[in-house]
Amino acid sequence: MTVLKNVCRMILNTKTVQFKLYTRQSYSLYNLQRLANLNNSVNSRFCSNKVKTEEPICNVGTLGHVDHGKTTLTAAITKVIAEEDKTCEYVSYDQIDKAPEEKARGITINIAHVGYRTKARRYAHTDCPGHADFIKNMISGASQMDGAILLVAATDGVMPQTREHLLLAKQVGVKYFVVFINKADVADQEVLELVEIETRELLCDFGFDGINIPVIYGSALLALRGDTSEYGVPSVKKLLDAIDTYIPTPTRDYTSPFLLPIDNAFSVPGRGTVVVGTIKRGIVKKNMDANLLGFDESINTTISDIHIFKKSVTEAVAGENVGVLLRGIKIDRIRKGMLVCKAKSMMASNHYEAQIYLLSSSEGGRHRPMRPTGYCQPLYSTTWNVLCRLDLMLPEGTNMLMPGEHVTTKLTLLRSMPMMEGQSFTIRENKCTVATGMVTKILPPINVDKRKLNKAILPDTQ
Amino acid sequence: MNSRRIMISNRIFRLIHTNGTLWQATNKSLLAKLRKKTGYTFTNCKKALELHENNLEKAEQWLNEQAQNLGWSKAAKLQGRPTAQGLIAVIVNKAHGALVEINCETDFVARNKQFHKLTETVALAVLKYTTSLTGNDLVNKALLDSEALNALSAPDGKLLADHSALTIGSVGENLAIKRALCMSVQPGVTLAGYSHPASIHPASPALGRYGTLLALKGAENNELLPNQLCQHIIGMNPLKIGDPQVDQPMANIDDETTLIYQEYLLDPTLNVQQVLIDAQAQVLDFARFEMGEIIDTSQSLDSVETCG
Repeated sequence: MTVLKNVCRMILNTKTVQFKLYTRQSYSLYNLQRLANLNNSVNSRFCSNKVKTEEPICNVGTLGHVDHGKTTLTAAITKVIAEEDKTCEYVSYDQIDKAPEEKARGITINIAHVGYRTKARRYAHTDCPGHADFIKNMISGASQMDGAILLVAATDGVMPQTREHLLLAKQVGVKYFVVFINKADVADQEVLELVEIETRELLCDFGFDGINIPVIYGSALLALRGDTSEYGVPSVKKLLDAIDTYIPTPTRDYTSPFLLPIDNAFSVPGRGTVVVGTIKRGIVKKNMDANLLGFDESINTTISDIHIFKKSVTEAVAGENVGVLLRGIKIDRIRKGMLVCKAKSMMASNHYEAQIYLLSSSEGGRHRPMRPTGYCQPLYSTTWNVLCRLDLMLPEGTNMLMPGEHVTTKLTLLRSMPMMEGQSFTIRENKCTVATGMVTKILPPINVDKRKLNKAILPDTQ
Repeated sequence: MNSRRIMISNRIFRLIHTNGTLWQATNKSLLAKLRKKTGYTFTNCKKALELHENNLEKAEQWLNEQAQNLGWSKAAKLQGRPTAQGLIAVIVNKAHGALVEINCETDFVARNKQFHKLTETVALAVLKYTTSLTGNDLVNKALLDSEALNALSAPDGKLLADHSALTIGSVGENLAIKRALCMSVQPGVTLAGYSHPASIHPASPALGRYGTLLALKGAENNELLPNQLCQHIIGMNPLKIGDPQVDQPMANIDDETTLIYQEYLLDPTLNVQQVLIDAQAQVLDFARFEMGEIIDTSQSLDSVETCG
């Protein structure tokens, strides 16, 4: 072994030696490679049983008044980072401002996305131009916020509509804020402190932790100009540090009962049926009891074997793509869109509560409003589709949903399907996507006449 | 609330100790007080205190006097910035009604109380103007453009332009009173208004992103029908009422733009004509406002884009 190690070191050090080695000690070199391969495979198997060490990603958004410098701050952040880390790119003010019109999945995204990296993790940075825009994108799954930077200009203080900014944050579930008091270079210390108090008070009013939230004074404009005084570049660095430490990284869920949506299934002669998919949450272990759910079925089974990249393992964790051998299940009982979960941990339902966004006609959606009850069209989610009935929970006095609006709704599926909170779906009509949505609540299943789904009268709806 | 009080007292306490001079501490708490009381920006509050040697009352008075000018200067500064968001206000008082569109830059402001207040003021002013209109037709209509609206006076005597400038000064976004429509009817004709989404608070005027006014003859005792027809007009967007003797229904009912031939929104098995006949009612006129719609220009191309 020591000989091999020395050889290895020599290879790395000098080219001339390397040449000699190729000719004279080719046998050892071959051995070395084998050893390395073995090591790799051991490593990958070892890693697969541990939490993956991929770079964490955090989604942050900027909230604040139009004139308080959201775009300037975003530009300044990318500039400060780009100067330290050459792999990151500086995004100028004009680029961010012009980014808006990009189209994806038939939905216009009016939100500028900027990415950057600190020492701790990667960031996807969103600038939200409006309440309705952000809600729409969140429902469609185009953006989310794990934390937010609240921007207040020291010259103005908190603006009347900042309440609405915080309302949005509350609605989309943002828990962590970092406050950046901008334009600190043109205000004096006492005003800065007053703005800070005011902002903290407002955050407390909305039930956020206003007392402990980090508040940073600075000037995005100075930082953008490369000024190195207190309110220039150092203030942006301080802001980034505060974001790194105060906003926690969203983590994969390794503790809940496991869940494996099925992307594909095939039978292995002599062994049984293997289902393939990516583990959504939890840890799958060999010999665990499991349920196979979907399309009105709930079948008991056991995990006989787990494979990752064609290698048998004893367990696999959330985020990994696995093949799982199910005991005593015939391939014809499995359909794409079913799901394997820990026995008795979950129940498939045909009744859910969700938020939907009705696409406007310019986004390819309907040009007529949606009636509050009885609308039946196929719902598409992950790899399946099932006929679904919508019962809109409109605000009192409203009787329709106009294209371009969003609403909370009840879903009633023709067949029971396992869906999770936060799972997204689309509703299609005549081959056009007319609505996108996100499950917000799982409701107990209800009995409906399957031949008259559109006529059924549901409890608790108008 | 409690935490807030503790926080402020802590701050002031600290300040007295760190700065040493009492004068500055008073100055600072005065500044906080003035800002909290008036809501004007810190820069202006500070200026007011400096000008009046920390006399709170005088400073406040000065700020209120200056507000109009400050609003105007802010308005001048923000002029030309696009206002694509906003609200439609609908107000009906017996035989008179008004539809108003007011725009702002972000929908955050459109949800703000101060903006709602401005919208209310404008709607009331337009309604007052409507009552002053005279006409002998069953239904009288008048359209007001931005210029005419700004020159109207509000119930308190100030010009609407002044009110708008004041709100610009406080919310810090460009605003525009875009257009208004007045409608008044003779006795025997029912006038109904509706906004979508319907206001959460049953206040007058109703605020929403769509608004409509409808003049209906017959069905005096039918309270539901005018309301439902208004909803239909907002949802189905008819371009004209239509006359059964002149107009022909379209081949594809989904493309129908004539009110009487459209599928009735609340009961798709009927068309509007059947509903009107059943109720022995006749639509005399209607108006529909959609927030942000482009007026008096040919149809833009992207609205006729179809999906594959």
